[in-house]
Amino acid sequence: MQRPSDEILIAFLDGELAESERTRIAQALAEDEVLRDHAARLTEGAGLIRSAFDEVLREPVPERLIDAARSPESVTQLRRIMALLQRWRAEIGERPWWIAVPVAASFLGLVVGGGFGYFAGSQQGATFAAQQAALTSASGANWLDSIAGYHKLFVNAGPDDRQLMDVPADSKDDAIRKASQLPADFRLPDLKPWGLAFQGARFLMVDGQPATQLFYTTDNDKLGPVTLVVGNSPKPDLAPTFDRRDDVNLLYWRHHGHFYVVVGAASIGYLWNIHNDIAWQLDAI
Amino acid sequence: MSMSFNDQLVAVLPRLRRFARGLTGSAVEADDLVQAACERALARTHQFQAGTRFDSWMFRIVQTVWIDQIRARDIRRTESEDAARQVGSDESVRRVEARMALREVQAAIVTLPPEQRAALLLVTVEGLSYKEAAEVAAVPVGTIMSRLARARLALQAKFETGGALRGSTGDAKAE
Repeated sequence: MQRPSDEILIAFLDGELAESERTRIAQALAEDEVLRDHAARLTEGAGLIRSAFDEVLREPVPERLIDAARSPESVTQLRRIMALLQRWRAEIGERPWWIAVPVAASFLGLVVGGGFGYFAGSQQGATFAAQQAALTSASGANWLDSIAGYHKLFVNAGPDDRQLMDVPADSKDDAIRKASQLPADFRLPDLKPWGLAFQGARFLMVDGQPATQLFYTTDNDKLGPVTLVVGNSPKPDLAPTFDRRDDVNLLYWRHHGHFYVVVGAASIGYLWNIHNDIAWQLDAI
Repeated sequence: MSMSFNDQLVAVLPRLRRFARGLTGSAVEADDLVQAACERALARTHQFQAGTRFDSWMFRIVQTVWIDQIRARDIRRTESEDAARQVGSDESVRRVEARMALREVQAAIVTLPPEQRAALLLVTVEGLSYKEAAEVAAVPVGTIMSRLARARLALQAKFETGGALRGSTGDAKAE
């Protein structure tokens, strides 16, 4: 198979390719170790680029910017009008007073009009905010931040922290499915061949949708703890896509109305193979 | 003008600052840029189309103001600001080596051509789709795709030369 261009590979990693292209690249990655390594490095590079600016988000926003953003439009408008009036005054000089009347009238009209505009705008405020929240969550990458955060929570707490589990490790597939909103044909993935032991499940809200996080641990230091997050998604199917948050790798895909994310500190090669196993077991390819 | 418009503007400020920091490479210039963008946005609220993303609209304004500034050669970076950008405060430099590596990444991004830098920041840092980034930059999606690929490959080469990447090759092959 011909190796895809870097442009196409990066678009694949960004989840930007059409279905047919995605399948082709996923197949190429499965067959080509060098390409897989290149993809892993690009993904790691992307994570580094994102991390480079994280600290800006944690800095306090300067007062002057908050003031500038909170400044009502009427103030901005008034500043513009005052500047305009000053310019006209300079141009008009000592001319008769009646020349200023149209100017004053237009000024009054703007202020009154602005007042009505403010009132009407306030009524639409809630709708505007809700619309923006929906638009942003529809295509933002923040849901992966949440999933990476949930993974870290599990890793930090450790498998002995039973309070973290909504469903204990000895639960059957049926119990987990009934307690959560998993697909009707859900089967708990058996990852024992990877040395991964199921430790329990937890119910989450991801991107406004209910999801289930399954915990697995292992003695294998190179692999480390792995979580699988499964949830419902109205979005179209998506081929496996890599991403990274700090020191956590994520491999996610969508299939038949559900999304799946394999999360862990293990290399992407490991996660890719685990994903293959899970997808086969869940028939989610 | 609704209060929620102002609230949205305040809410998006941290991301605008991050975007502007990536574009300018300087904390001071970035905040000046964001302030100018806020003022322009407030003066042009009527141009915002309901049903579209507010953050994308603001990114577009930030980028437009930035391009205007570059064209007008308004940016006069002082030597002290330059030094601050490159090394940060003494405290932060001493604190952790990792932070230095991140500053190197920031510095590497600033060396990219402006249009590649903007594409990279919009997609890779801000998480916009190619289509949304194309709308912000007012270029076709294919242009964003190629700018982004050039930026990512250029940075990748710098990272690998500078040792910024830890290298997952060994782990992947260990399987």
